[in-house]
Amino acid sequence: MSGSAAQKVILLVEDNPDDEALAIRALKRHHIGNEIVVAHDGVEALDYLFGTGIYEGRDTSIKPAVILLDLKLPRISGLEVLQRLREDDRTKLVPIVILTTSSEEQDLLNSYSLGCNSYIRKPVDFVQFSEAIRQLGMYWLLMNESPPS
Amino acid sequence: MDAEFWNKLRNDCRDEAAFEHCQQMLLQELQPLEQAAKNASFQLEQQKALLHVITRLREPIDLEEIFQATAIEIRQLLAVDRVGMFRFYPDSGWDDGEFVSEDVDPAFSSAIAEPVHDHCFGDQFAVHYQAGRIQAVADIYNAGLSDCHIQVLAQFQVRANLVVPLLLGQNLWGLLCIHQCRGPRQWNPTEIEFVTQIADHLGVALHHAELMVELRKEISDRQQAEQRAHNLNQELRQAIMELKAVNKELEAFSYSVSHDLRAPLRSIDGFSQALLEDCFDRLDEDGRDYLQRIRSASQRMGQLIDELLMLSRVTRSDLRWATVDLSHLASQLCWDLQQIDRSRSIDCVIQPDLVTQGDPLLLRVMMENLLSNAWKFTAKQPQARIEFGAMHCTEVDSAAIGAVDPLPTRNNLIYFVRDNGVGFDMAYMDKLFQPFQRLHGMHEFPGNGVGLATVQRVVRRHGGRIWAEGHLNQGATFYFTLMENVEES
Repeated sequence: MSGSAAQKVILLVEDNPDDEALAIRALKRHHIGNEIVVAHDGVEALDYLFGTGIYEGRDTSIKPAVILLDLKLPRISGLEVLQRLREDDRTKLVPIVILTTSSEEQDLLNSYSLGCNSYIRKPVDFVQFSEAIRQLGMYWLLMNESPPS
Repeated sequence: MDAEFWNKLRNDCRDEAAFEHCQQMLLQELQPLEQAAKNASFQLEQQKALLHVITRLREPIDLEEIFQATAIEIRQLLAVDRVGMFRFYPDSGWDDGEFVSEDVDPAFSSAIAEPVHDHCFGDQFAVHYQAGRIQAVADIYNAGLSDCHIQVLAQFQVRANLVVPLLLGQNLWGLLCIHQCRGPRQWNPTEIEFVTQIADHLGVALHHAELMVELRKEISDRQQAEQRAHNLNQELRQAIMELKAVNKELEAFSYSVSHDLRAPLRSIDGFSQALLEDCFDRLDEDGRDYLQRIRSASQRMGQLIDELLMLSRVTRSDLRWATVDLSHLASQLCWDLQQIDRSRSIDCVIQPDLVTQGDPLLLRVMMENLLSNAWKFTAKQPQARIEFGAMHCTEVDSAAIGAVDPLPTRNNLIYFVRDNGVGFDMAYMDKLFQPFQRLHGMHEFPGNGVGLATVQRVVRRHGGRIWAEGHLNQGATFYFTLMENVEES
């Protein structure tokens, strides 16, 4: 395990508390020990990443190893968060995985067009969901070489 | 002959008696010459009047104007008291009619629009006028006319009468009537000839007018038809707009279905699993079984939502046309099915090279559903057999393959997927393609009853139809056509 990735946080952007609990449970079950920061809507996610609002003064040079981003979010939608992160030099290289319920073609197309790194549809079956989280953690935290800071 | 001429003649004559004799002879010779000159000048005037009338006939003005102008022209030239165009009422048998146009000396009353009834005419004379008869009467009281005829003429103060038929084709349309009212009048042959020629030309005008009426009617019919088409188009456009709105709503609906309905299911399934994992020791056999049931029910509901979404997507997505090798697709899908349960023994018989035009994704969904159905319903066969093939419409008897409607006459292909599974009762044929209709219990064969409804929609969107034939425990065959209404290029 690369030392730097292990210490990095995972930013989970999720407004549904059940999905949040299940995602955290799945990560824990697979012994992914990174700190998990949860943003409950698009505004919170952007505040965290750019050190604004409730995250005023946060050291933004510390970037998440991966962002797990839901699409359907209150206030600012997942697609808009994705677009803003990709437009900003500070965040344009951070790996972003769309983790959503939707398998609508349009959502897939928009997400990839805006530059997401991966798109995962949350399955109803928790065992499958857990497996998806495991693979996702394996890939983005262990195998993937992070972009230079 | 001026005075100078007569003086010269007197000088040349030997005496007064000789001069008078010469003068007498000369005057006698001159008289017919002068008459001839007068006639010639009248004929010239006639020709001019005729030319006027003809010129007017060629201009696109209406019949009333032609009649009016002609009446004025004739009345001036012949110095008569009334010129009138009389029209018989259609279907009156020439018994009744009225003057529709007239030019009359102000000293006499107008005959316009006064209904005239003359049964004698309709009964005895119409047929002669139809054949071209002309009547010229110098004095109506000394011409041996019948009383009823005189009565009709007297009504309009007529004394002398020149009547020429107005013919529309072979049919007596009306009469051109020239009246002298102030006293009797002799009609000379040039006058009669002139009026006859005018009547001939008016006949042409009548014919043109009739054609014009027909033309106008045709134009108005056509305009009405265009208007109807326009209205229909408008309605269609409206319907399309409404359809689009409904479609949009449907899209929004299925989007929220895919989002909002699946989320709670994930919680149900996820926390049931969490309970199983975390509290395994504290649960007895029943408790674990219940949790397992909760999980499988929520998963089934998840699948159901997915299939519903697929069904709606099949209906609303745009078709992307490409060449699709159905045989290749079927082989792939059969291989996949065989991998699901390798303990099953299945013969897959696939006719090669069945290539069609269509949407690759939708046709895949269609073949997947048909073949996995065949796979599912042959589960209890020790030796399952699944066939995919096609035959030409012209080579089969539609009744023999259970087609309800006549098959297309063009050389379309009828594709089929056949299996030797449990089959079905033909009595339930109607229910096969309705969503959520199932012919088997859940414990017997799993499924949601959405598959064949989806298949039917794919087939319909490809301009084809689908039907099935089967018997209980004797297998089933699904027949379908594609692009029945699309011209093959």
